[in-house]
Amino acid sequence: MSLPSQFQNYTTGHFFDEMFSGDQQLSARAHYQQIFQRFDRLTASEISDRRQQADSSFLEHGITFTVYGDEGGTERIFPFDLIPRVIPESEWSMVENGLRQRIIAINLFLNDIYHGRKIIKDGIIPEEIVNSSKNYRPEMIGFDPPQGVYAHICGTDLIRDDKGNYLVLEDNARCPSGASYLLENREIMKRAFPQTFGGMAVRPVEAYPDTLLKTLEYLSPRKSQKPVCVLLTPGVYNSAYFEHTFLARQMGIEIVEGKDLIAIDSCIYMRTTRGLVQVDVIYRRLDDDFLDPLMFRKESMLGVSGLMDAYLKGNVALANAVGTGVADDKVTYAYVPEMIKYYLNQDPILANVPTYLCWRDSDRAHVLQNLENLVVKAANESGGYGMLIGNQSTKEEREEFARLIEAHPREYIAQPIVSLSRHPTFCEEGIAGRHVDLRPFILYGEDVEIIPGGLTRVALKKGSLVVNSSQGGGSKDTWVLKDF
Amino acid sequence: MLSRVADNLYWMSRYIERADGMARMIQVHQSQALEYAQNDQQLEEFWQPVLQSICAESVHPAEQGFRKIGKTLLFSSSFANSIFSSISIARENARMVRDQLSEELWLELNNIYLFFHNGDADQLYKQGSDLLLDRITRFSLVFQGLADATIPHSEGWRFLSLGKYLERADQTSRMLDTLNLRTKEPTRADLMSVLRCCIALSAFRQQFRGNLSLKNVANFLLFSEDFPRSIRFCIRAIDHSLHAISGVPTGTFSNEAERLTGSTLAMVNFTDWNQVVAKGLHQTLDELQTTLIEIGQRVFETYVLLPSEIKSLGERSSAQLAQAQQQQ
Repeated sequence: MSLPSQFQNYTTGHFFDEMFSGDQQLSARAHYQQIFQRFDRLTASEISDRRQQADSSFLEHGITFTVYGDEGGTERIFPFDLIPRVIPESEWSMVENGLRQRIIAINLFLNDIYHGRKIIKDGIIPEEIVNSSKNYRPEMIGFDPPQGVYAHICGTDLIRDDKGNYLVLEDNARCPSGASYLLENREIMKRAFPQTFGGMAVRPVEAYPDTLLKTLEYLSPRKSQKPVCVLLTPGVYNSAYFEHTFLARQMGIEIVEGKDLIAIDSCIYMRTTRGLVQVDVIYRRLDDDFLDPLMFRKESMLGVSGLMDAYLKGNVALANAVGTGVADDKVTYAYVPEMIKYYLNQDPILANVPTYLCWRDSDRAHVLQNLENLVVKAANESGGYGMLIGNQSTKEEREEFARLIEAHPREYIAQPIVSLSRHPTFCEEGIAGRHVDLRPFILYGEDVEIIPGGLTRVALKKGSLVVNSSQGGGSKDTWVLKDF
Repeated sequence: MLSRVADNLYWMSRYIERADGMARMIQVHQSQALEYAQNDQQLEEFWQPVLQSICAESVHPAEQGFRKIGKTLLFSSSFANSIFSSISIARENARMVRDQLSEELWLELNNIYLFFHNGDADQLYKQGSDLLLDRITRFSLVFQGLADATIPHSEGWRFLSLGKYLERADQTSRMLDTLNLRTKEPTRADLMSVLRCCIALSAFRQQFRGNLSLKNVANFLLFSEDFPRSIRFCIRAIDHSLHAISGVPTGTFSNEAERLTGSTLAMVNFTDWNQVVAKGLHQTLDELQTTLIEIGQRVFETYVLLPSEIKSLGERSSAQLAQAQQQQ
C-alpha cells in the first residue's frame, strides 16, 4: 500500500514555482529531487512532530521578535517552514556576482555623493534627489570613512518574476536584519532532516559571524592592538534584540546600549566594572537618527552624546557608516543600474524591478491612472510599512495614496505588481504554494563576501505578497547546492 | 565586564533568590495555617506579621480574604515581589545579558517564565498549590546548580553570588523578624515555620537536638558558622565575592561596599546572644537589613556609576537611584 502523496493536491498556479516545472503535470526540478522525495513520503504525524520540535526550540531559545503596536503578543517566534528553498550553485554564482557588482557600485556612489559629486555633474542623477533624501547626511560631506567603505553590511532583497528571473527589490544598506534567523534555521534543519541535508552537499553558512567580526576589525582606527569592537543595540525592547545578542555572542564582543558608552575628548569609551575601556569599532544596529542626540534627534535616549564628533575625527569606526540610507532610498534605487554602468562600465547582472518615480510628472500621471495595477511604496520606509498593493486595496486606500502622492511626490515610487515566485510550504490545507523572496547578506570588508544563500522569507497568508515578519511572514532555510 | 551587565547579573540572581524564598515562605505558612488558623480573623492575624516582615502589607488579597493570599503572592502582577513578577524581572535582566549566560541557564529561566506566561502555572496551581511551589523551588535549585556548573567562575559569576547572598541574608533576617512581629510569644509552630522557610530544620536539629527555643533558633540563623543561609555565612560570602571582584585581599578594603561588609562581618563574628538581647532582636535585625541595603547601594556606586555621576548626586538621590534599580 502506498502512502498518500503530500503533493497530490499541489498546483503551481500561474506562478514560477521554485520546486516544480510545468503547471499541469508537476515535475520536480533536478536540484529539488531529493527534497521532493523526502517530503512527499512524510506522514502527517512526522510533520507535526518536526514542526512542534522546531517551534518549541525557537520559543525556548528565545528566538523571538517584537511586533510593535500589538498588545497581545509582544514577543513572537518568527514562523519557520520546514521545506527548504534550494538554489543550484550555477544560479547562485550569477546572483553572487550581481550582488558583488551592486555593493561596489553603491559604495562608489556614496563616496561620490559625499565628495566630488561627479555623477550629478555628469547628469546621471539629479542633485535634488540626493539632497532631498531623508537619509542624506550633509555632516558626512568630505569625510573619509575608515577604509573608504560606507555600506559594510548589506541585505539586498531579491525576488523572482513569473519567468524565474532574479530581480532586486530593494537594497538595505542601513541596518539589515535576519542573519541570526538564517543561522538558527540551518541548525534546526540539520537536526530535523539530517540525512537529507547530509546527502545534498549544501554550502555551509556558519562562517558568517567570523566574517562579520573580520569585517569590523578591519575598520579599527588603532592598528597597534586587538581592536575593541562592540555591537550597539537600541535595547531589549527592539524588535531585533534577539538578533543583536545572538550576533554579539557568536562574535564574542560586548553588546552595548547607548548608556554603556561615553564620549570623552572625542574618543568613545565603554563603562566597565574596571573603569573605562576605549572602543574602536561600533557595529551599530541603530538608525542614524538615534546615534547622537547632539547631532541628530535631540530627544533620542538611545544614542551617545558626542559619538559623531568622535567618528568624524576618526577615533572610532561605525559600521555601517553614517548616511548610507541615501543609497537605499527607493528613488535612488531606481538609479542603481545607471550607477553600475557609470562607475564600473559594466552591464548590471541583476535587474531592478521597473520603477516609476512619482516626482517625474509623466511617471506620476501614469501611476495615478493605474493605481489598481501597481505597488506603491514610500521611498524611505521599510518592514512592509507605508505600502499599497493596488489589486488588493480598497477604493478608499487608493484615494488616500493618491492624495499622499500628490502632496509628496518625492516620497513615493510605484512598481508593477510582480508575481513573486512561489514555494511549496506547509499550510493549514496541506502543502501549498506561497510567495517567497530572498535576502542574502553581503559583507564588504577587505573583500566582498556573501553568505551562500540567505534568508528566504515566505508570505504565509494565501495570496499575500508581503513577506515581512512584522506582517505575518515566515522564513525557510536556504540551501545552495555545490553539485548543481 | 560592562557595568550594566554586572548590574543585570546581580539583579537577575537576586530576583531568582527572591522568588525562591517567597515560594518557600508561602508553602510553609500555608501549611501552618491549615492547622492553626481557621476562620478569617485568625487567618488575618496569622498572615499580617509575615506580610509586614516582607514589606507586603499593601498586598490586599481579593474578596476571599486571606484564604487566597498564596495566589496573590504567586501571581499578582501589581505586586513587584510576587513570584511571577520576580521571575519576569529576572528573565528581563537575563535577556539583556544573554551573551553572558550558558544556553542551559537561559533555557531553564525562560522555561519557567513561559510556564507562567502561557497559563500552565495557573493550571498546576489548581491541581494543588504545593505542586507549583515545589516546581519553583526546584527551578531555583537547578538554576543555581547550572550557574555553578556551566558558567566560568569569573567576574560575572561573582556578581551572581553577590546578588544571591545579599538577597538570602535579607530573607533570613526577615523570616526571623516575623517572630518579633507576632503579638503573642512565638509558639513552637512559629519557630518551626521560620526554620522551614530557611530550609534549616534538619541542620538545626543536628546542632541543638530539638531544643527548640527563640534563643536557639535566632542564634542558629544569625550566627551559624557553616549553615549556608545563616546571616553570618551570607555576609562572609558577600565579603568573599566583593574581594574576588576587586582583587584586594580580605581584611582590607578598596571601596565602601567592602568596608561596610567587612565591618558588618566583624560585628556578626564577635557578637553573641547577650548583646542581641540587650539591643533587642528586632532592632538588631532592623539594623542588619539597613546595612544590607546600603551594601547594595555601594556596590552600585562602585561598579555601575561613574565617579562624576556619584558626585553630581546628593545622598538622597543616590539612594533613590538604587531604589529605582531594586524596583526596576
